[in-house]
Parts: sequence; structure tokens; C-alpha cells
Amino acid sequence: MQDTQKSYTTAIILALIALIWVSPFSWLAVNAVNPEADGSLSWPNSVGFQNFAEAMSGQAGGQFMNSLFLSILTSTLTVIIAVFAAYPLSRLKIPGRNAFLWALVLLRMLPATGVIVPIFFTAKSTGMLNLVGVAIAITMLNLPFTLLLLKNFFDTVPVELEEAAYSEGASFFQIMRNVMLPMSRAGIAVVWFFSFTTAWNEFLLPLIFVRKTADFPMSVGLFASFGEHSSVNYGFLASYSILYAVPAVAVYFLLRRNLNTGFAGVGVKG
Amino acid sequence: MLASAHPWLKRDWPLLVCLSIPAILAVGLLLYMAGWVLVMSFTDLSLFGRKATEWSFIGLENYERLFTRRGFLESLWVTVIFTFFSSIIGQNILGFVLAGTLRNQPGLLRSSIESAVILGWVLPDVVAAFLWSATFTPNGLVDLAILQPLSIETRNLINDHPLLIVILANIWKGTAWSYILYSAALDSVPREVSEAAKVDGATPMQRMFFITLPMIKSHIATNCLFITIGSFVYFPLIFALTGGGPGTKTQVLSIFVYNESFSVGKLGYGSAISVAMLIIVAIMSIFYVRLLREPK
Repeated sequence: MQDTQKSYTTAIILALIALIWVSPFSWLAVNAVNPEADGSLSWPNSVGFQNFAEAMSGQAGGQFMNSLFLSILTSTLTVIIAVFAAYPLSRLKIPGRNAFLWALVLLRMLPATGVIVPIFFTAKSTGMLNLVGVAIAITMLNLPFTLLLLKNFFDTVPVELEEAAYSEGASFFQIMRNVMLPMSRAGIAVVWFFSFTTAWNEFLLPLIFVRKTADFPMSVGLFASFGEHSSVNYGFLASYSILYAVPAVAVYFLLRRNLNTGFAGVGVKG
Repeated sequence: MLASAHPWLKRDWPLLVCLSIPAILAVGLLLYMAGWVLVMSFTDLSLFGRKATEWSFIGLENYERLFTRRGFLESLWVTVIFTFFSSIIGQNILGFVLAGTLRNQPGLLRSSIESAVILGWVLPDVVAAFLWSATFTPNGLVDLAILQPLSIETRNLINDHPLLIVILANIWKGTAWSYILYSAALDSVPREVSEAAKVDGATPMQRMFFITLPMIKSHIATNCLFITIGSFVYFPLIFALTGGGPGTKTQVLSIFVYNESFSVGKLGYGSAISVAMLIIVAIMSIFYVRLLREPK
């Protein structure tokens, strides 16, 4: 009896926490669907989707495409580079491999703000102050983590499978495509998700790299438009925020099954 | 090395080498840039003006400035407060409590709370900043739901308590990470151990402190280090929410680096701050490496 009462109390407290957790979204919801949104938290008099139409057209729509371009380029680059480097790292006993792996563990912690000035100069002198430059910079900053993660996944694929493929005359690319990649699907999904969302959320690099409003990804686009306090179009900002958040949230919930495999515990074995 | 390698690796080794060149270059470039920051921190290089081209080495002057001029030590202190309260106190404890209580909850409740917490985590930083700024404005959620019913005067909360709000925002944003990690850690504790202690008459508190916590000790350490480093270098949410202000009240080190380098334009001084930041992170990372190395 006492136990059930206690579990009811816990359930109510937990439900309250969840409510508090999602409560900041209320502002977003009421302003996004209110065509006359004025930035206050109140029930809209009328509900319409004009704000969304506005946030999808013109420059705002272009910024959505910029973000998409940046994220797809980054995740593709990261997966390709990491797959081909993680494979020998997993299979070859190169002298000094462990030292290299530990260096990666350390480099993984390197914050972007710590090396932002050299990154800026390198991009400036190579004419890369654009989204492609941002994609390359993110790929580089993420690589220590993605390499370690994929290497650990490749370690779990039994080498006998490759042996069998080899003895049947498979080329290197066939071994990769038909054995390694399907066997480490979950790892590739994590790497892809990780690099896609980092690029989608990335704020500092495009803030420094990109000057023209038309070239902004959504992070900087949103920041730039809520900085202008004089005539803020709150309905537009709220719907723009939702459109910006949806892909990041959707990607997570689509892939969540694959993501349970330890994000944090990427160590070095043996 | 090749003698012991598998035959297909031997056959294709030139190809393997070629394909790993991009990764080797990227990692090399990253190291090179860390070295570059170090060199730059000994110069008076600036972003604009004469010193942009005619810079010179000035020895340890930038490092002296870290400790003699206002700015760095204040910023370091703000960062430490921010990091300690938002990660160790906030995300860590809340994540653990949530993971512990949600384990025994029915599926629907569990998955909806999980989704709520994770929603904050996957939300882009700038959107989160926007939401939190709207929540604390006059006539925002906190004002309408808490201050007005209690007839407390409406004020601009972000100006009055900037650091507190930034800390709350980071807890809201980052707790999911600790929650996910602790859920996995608690799943690894065999139920039998805890049940045996229950039969022997251990109270829930005793079971928590003498059985569960010691068994997931390494997870706790890993998590604490990770979120500490993560918060220590966190930039976008704070920058978009307060810009480091009002004044320098929320100017954490990453914002300080950004401001000194790109707004003030003192790249040499900015680099010295970066180096200080990198050293602190490196010390924490070395702790982390030692932790991972420990035999489990």
C-alpha cells in the first residue's frame, strides 16, 4: 500500500519534470502558428501557417538549403575519410599504433575555440572562407573521435569473413562494400549522425567564415535575425526555429536504436 | 609488420596507404594548428591595422597580461562557476537521479520523459538560446507562471541573473548525455547483487551508496570528466543567449577568446588565452586517459 502510494508520488514528480522540461517550447509553438505574433506568450487569436511559408521561401529557404549542403557534405566527407583510415588502423599492427590511438583520444578533447585562429587563417589564405571550408574544418575537428569509434567497430568484425571473401577472389573494395561496411552499419550510422548534427548545429565556424547573409547556414541566420531588435518578426523567427530544429531532432529519433552504443567510452583496447 | 599481416592487406597495401592519406593529413593539420596557436601566443599579431603585417615576437608579454590585466582571471572564474554548477552539480546529479528513478517506471512514462530530456539535447544551440531568452523576458513563461502569481515585480531576468540562467540553460541542454550514460551504467549492475542486499536488510540509501555507486565508479568518473570538459569549452549557447554579457558576467573563456581575437582583434593575446584553455583541457584529458587505461 505504502509502496504504491510512493510510486504514484514519484510518477507525478517525474511527469512534472517532463512538463518543466518541455515548457520553454510553449513560446515557440504559440508564436509560430500565430500570424500576428508579437513575441508574447499568449493564445493566438487566429491560427495559420503563413509564418512557415515565409520561413521556407526566399532567403530563409536558401539558408535551409545551405545548412543541408553543409551537413551532407560534412557527414559524407567524414564517413569516407574515417572508413578508409579506420580500416588499416584496426587490421594492421603498425609500430606505434597505440601511441597514435592515445594521441587521438587526447586530440578528441581539443576544443574548436582553442584552434579557431589558425583555422581562420588557413581558410583565408586558401580561399576557403565559405561553407566548403566550414565542412572541411568540422571534418578535421571531428576526425579523432570518428576514427576511434569506427576502429572500435571494425575490431568487432571477425577477420575470418574477410579471409573467406579474399579466398573467393574479392578485391579490396569488394571486401569493404560487401563485408566490412554491412557488418559495421551501426558504427557508420553513429559517425554519420554525429557529423551530420555537429555540422547542422555548428555556429562558431560559419559565424567567422561566412560574411554574406545569403550564404549563412540556419544557425547564423537565426542568430543574425534575432539580433536585430528593432523590428523583430517573431512569427517568422519562431517558425524558422522550428524548421531549423526538426531535421536535427528527426535524425536523432530515426537513428536512436543505433546510437545506444557507447558515445563516451571510446577507449583503446590492446 | 607486413609479414604478419593478412594476405589481402599485403596485396592492397599501396591502396590502403593512399586511402588513409586524407585522415593522416587532417590529424597532422590539427596538431600543426595547436603548435601554431602556441607560436602565435608569443607575438603581437593583430587582425587589423599595422600589426596585422608587421608583427613581432614579444616573448612572454601576452602571458604576463593574462595575470596582470583584468579579464582573464575573471573569465576563468566565470568558466569554473559555470562548469561546476552546470555539469558536476546539475547535469551529473540530475542525470543520475533520472536514470535511477526512470528504471522502475512504466514504459510510457519513461519514454516520454526520456524524449523530453533528449529533445533539449538534440535541439540546435541557437534555437535553445532563443527559447531561453524568450522564457525569461518580461511577460515570458517564468514571468507569467511564477513571478506574476506571486506578485513579484517583473524585471529583465537575463540582465539580473545572467550566470544563473546560462547555467540553467546548460543543465537543460546537457542532462540527456549524463542520463543516457548512467542508464547504460545502471543496466550493467546485476540485479542479484542489489536484491541480495535488500534481503539482508539494506535500506535503499545503503544499497545506493554501498553497492550501486561503487560498482559504476568508473562510469561516474568518465561522465564527470566528459561533461566538465564539454562545459568548460562550451561556446554557442552562451554566446547566442547573452553574448558574454551584461558586461563580462557570462564571459566564459571560449567567448573571451572569440572577443579578444575577432572583435578586439588581438590575435596574439587571444592565442595566449587559447593556450591556457588548451592546457587546462589537456590536464583534464590526461586524467581521462589514465582512467580509461585502468584495468576494469
